[in-house]
Parts: sequence; structure tokens; C-alpha cells
Amino acid sequence: MAAIAARRGFGFALPALALLVAFFVMPVMWLLLRSVTEPGLGFQNYATLFGTATYAKVFLNTFMVAGIVTVITLLLAFPVAWALVILPPRWSMVLFAIVILSMWTNLLARTYAWMVLLQRTGLVNQILMGLGITDAPLELVNNLIGVTIGMVYIMLPFMILPIYGVIRQIDASVLQAASLCGATRWQALWRVLLPLCVPGIASGVLMVFVMALGYYVTPSLLGGTSHMMLAELIAQLVQSLVNWGLGGAAAFVLLVATLALYALQIRLVGLPKGAQ
Amino acid sequence: MLLNFHMLGWWRWALGAVCALVAAFLLLPILFIIALSFGDSRWLIFPPPGWTLKWYEELFSDPRWLDAAFTSFKVAAVVAVLSVILGFLASMALVRGTFRGRAFLRGFFLMPMVMPVVVLAIALYATFLWLGIAGTFVGFVLAHLVIALPFAIIAISGALEGFDKSIEDAAILCGASPWEARLRVTLPSIKHGLFSAAIFSFLISWDEVVLAIFMASPRLQTLPIKVWGTLRQDLSPVIAAASTLLIALTVALMVLAAFTRKGKKQ
Repeated sequence: MAAIAARRGFGFALPALALLVAFFVMPVMWLLLRSVTEPGLGFQNYATLFGTATYAKVFLNTFMVAGIVTVITLLLAFPVAWALVILPPRWSMVLFAIVILSMWTNLLARTYAWMVLLQRTGLVNQILMGLGITDAPLELVNNLIGVTIGMVYIMLPFMILPIYGVIRQIDASVLQAASLCGATRWQALWRVLLPLCVPGIASGVLMVFVMALGYYVTPSLLGGTSHMMLAELIAQLVQSLVNWGLGGAAAFVLLVATLALYALQIRLVGLPKGAQ
Repeated sequence: MLLNFHMLGWWRWALGAVCALVAAFLLLPILFIIALSFGDSRWLIFPPPGWTLKWYEELFSDPRWLDAAFTSFKVAAVVAVLSVILGFLASMALVRGTFRGRAFLRGFFLMPMVMPVVVLAIALYATFLWLGIAGTFVGFVLAHLVIALPFAIIAISGALEGFDKSIEDAAILCGASPWEARLRVTLPSIKHGLFSAAIFSFLISWDEVVLAIFMASPRLQTLPIKVWGTLRQDLSPVIAAASTLLIALTVALMVLAAFTRKGKKQ
């Protein structure tokens, strides 16, 4: 540390550094320490976590929901990101404003909207019944459908923006060349445009998957008890059961999964924008 | 030809249709909430049979909602101020510093962004219980400051990188002390960065739920916690009214932020 501080300017970083060491690094370290010291020294919390069927189901469910949400988000986000680049300016501005507005609208407000829309007597069921698609109202909340709709809704901007960033940089003449060389539109899409989008798609997919893995609010409001996700389990272990050892172990598993995926992202596509 | 809208042929219509659907999916729930908050059906029938302001009256006549909103505002304002100060100092170190390990330090400062919030929340909850500041104003501010700071550092260090240091040096040559030069020359030049850092920090704290769930006590609640608690009981239209006000504030601040960005370009 002394060698670093010898150079100029380090002092300016000290207040922020002190804050993060005291209220970020140390609390997290302490939590992880508790996972191997409470109730006794050793890895029994991890053994319980991986050895109990209920907890194993939570892990499986978390990865499954995150995966489903990521795939659907990608399928919806790609056309939007593409259109943002090529639409006439007036329309792309409107579309962009909608994406940004949705991203910054209060999370609880958006989740509340879906709780109301998807309830038994909600608008979605009314429309489905009005169109004759179903006779009786469908159960759309407190299950996988509710979580998926709510999470896709929240994750869309985080997938659209990185893909948009990459498509915007693509030189249009590359695609012109493809068509001059006789490529059909499908060939140009599959063999030129999509491969060029891979960095944006990779960072969007990883960001959405990682965020979905640790999501708490939406799953606990729109999901059912039979589809509990990891973040809810962690909160419940600590809040209701006051089991800091097991809660800390579950938190550590989530943390390792998150950091591993971010490390993968940095390996594949470099640091995310703004972090360089 | 895929990057020229007018040469897409019939694909144009397919792409336009998908975009219209996604845009509707993103926008309609927000408009739906706003409409519900003015509808007079307690059971949230849509379209509402009539229009009313009674949910807003209920909201504004309930001291618990007002207290929660006031707490949220105080926490967010203090977080915004502290986040800008710490963010400015940290950015000075990152942009102007000559010490080794700056890239590492930058990565470290941005760490709270990648941390699953629920992990940070229970870690801070344990620490605050131990320190005896769980459920206090200080606890709220510290927790929100940790997650707001990375955004402030990104905004301010971006602005600082665009500022020519030789102007500050010129001020020092003309007789200003280093701190005088920083405060009277550098700070005003990067004010758009400081301003957007303040707005983003404020919004992050104002909208934050997960940390707040663990920081809140029956005596001290923020607005999102009041919404969260009410939501778990029923879907009362009062929440729609509260949500509409939250949306209005967010839109106002986003427009403000957009204007400061515009001011920067000119």
C-alpha cells in the first residue's frame, strides 16, 4: 500500500475506498465467514444446501427461470435493437424513449402493473376470454408464467441496449457487399449480420442471465412458493429462519455463480462499457 | 441491405410489427397504472366505470404514506450529495492520479454494480445489527451510498476525462491555489457530469427496494417499502396512485438529465 500511495493522487480515493471497505468488502467477507463457522466450523452448511432436495430444487429452478427469461428476452430484443438503428430517426427516437422510460420506471410500479394485469379478473384474462382463446380465466400469477412475463419485461432494456450498441457500429457496406455477392436476405442475416452482433448479444445475454439469477423483488411478488428462486431463499433463511450460516452459504453460491459469469464475459467480450 | 430500412422489402413490415408489439408491451403497463390511479373502481376494473381523484386524496391524507415519501426524499437527497462528493474525489484519483493500480482501483469501485443486491443486503443487515444502526437513517444512507457511488464515479470520471487539465494548470500559474483552481475552474467545467451523477444517485436511492427491505424498521420506511408492504396485502388502487407519482418524478428527473446532456454538447 505504501508503494502505491507514494505516487500522486491516491489520497483522493481514500474516502470512497474507506466507505467500500467498511460497508461492502467487510460485511460480505463476514457473511461468507459465517457460512463456514455457524453453527460449527466446517462445510456442513454447504453439504446441507447441496444435499437437501428442497434446496437443490431452488438452484435448479433459479437457473431454469434465468435461462427461459434470457432466451425470450433475446428473441424480443434483437429485432428492436436492429430497428433502433435503421428506423427513420423520428420513429427510432420514439422507440428509444419508450425503452429508456421503461428501464427507469420504478421496479415496484412495473411489477404492480403485471400483478393487476395478470390476476384472475385482470385485463389479460378478460382479453383472452373475449377472443375466445380460453373459457375460464387462466392462472397467470404465482407461477412460472407470471415470473417469466414480469422478468422479461424488466430485463428487455438490458438486452436491447448492448445489442443496439454493436449494430450501430456495423458498417452498412458490409451487408451491401453480401447482397452484391448474391446473398439472400436470410443468408445475409444468418451469415453476416448475426455473427457481427455476437459481442453485443453475448454481453446482453450474460448481463440478463446474471441479473435474473439474483433477482428478488419480481419473483417473490409474481412467482409462487413452488417456484422459489435463490434470492428469495437467501432472504428467507436470514429473515424468517435467522439461519445466518445457511443463508451465508446460499449467498456465497450466488456470488460465485455471478462472478464466474462476469469473468466469462470479460474473457469473451472485454469489460462492459463505462468500466474501461 | 439489412441495415437500410427502405431496402428491406416485406421484412420492413415484419420488423415494424415486432417492434410495435414490444413497444406496446413496454409502454402499456405503465399507461395502465396511470389510468387505474384515476379510475374509481376499488377492484381495479378496466376500463374504469368512472374517474376520480380519491386514491390521491387517500394517499395524501395518510400520514404513513407522507412520512415514507419524506424519508425517501431525505435519504435520496443525502445519498446524492455524498455520492457526488465521494465520486468526485475518487474520479480525481482515477483520472488524474499517477499511482499504479488505477485500473484495479476502478474495477474495485465498480464492484457493487455486479454484486447481487440481495447478498449485499443481508451482509449489510448483519453488519448494521452488530453496529446498532439497523433501521436507522444512517443505515439507509450508507447502504444506498454503496450502490449509488459506482454510477457517480462513471458519470464524473467521464466528464473529467473530457476536461483539459491545462486549464486548471493555467489557473494555478495565474496565482490560484491548487484547491482554489479545482473548486473554481475544474468543478464548474464538469458540472454536467456532477449533475447527472447527482440525478442518478438520487434515483437509485429513491427507487431502491431490496436493500431497503432489510434496512427498514416499523418506525422508518421509505416509499418503496411502503408500496412493497401494501402490495403484499392487497392490490389497492392507492398503490397505483403512489406508482403514478413515482413515475412522474422519474420522468421529470430523466428529462432534466437529458437537458443537461444537451447543454454539455453545445
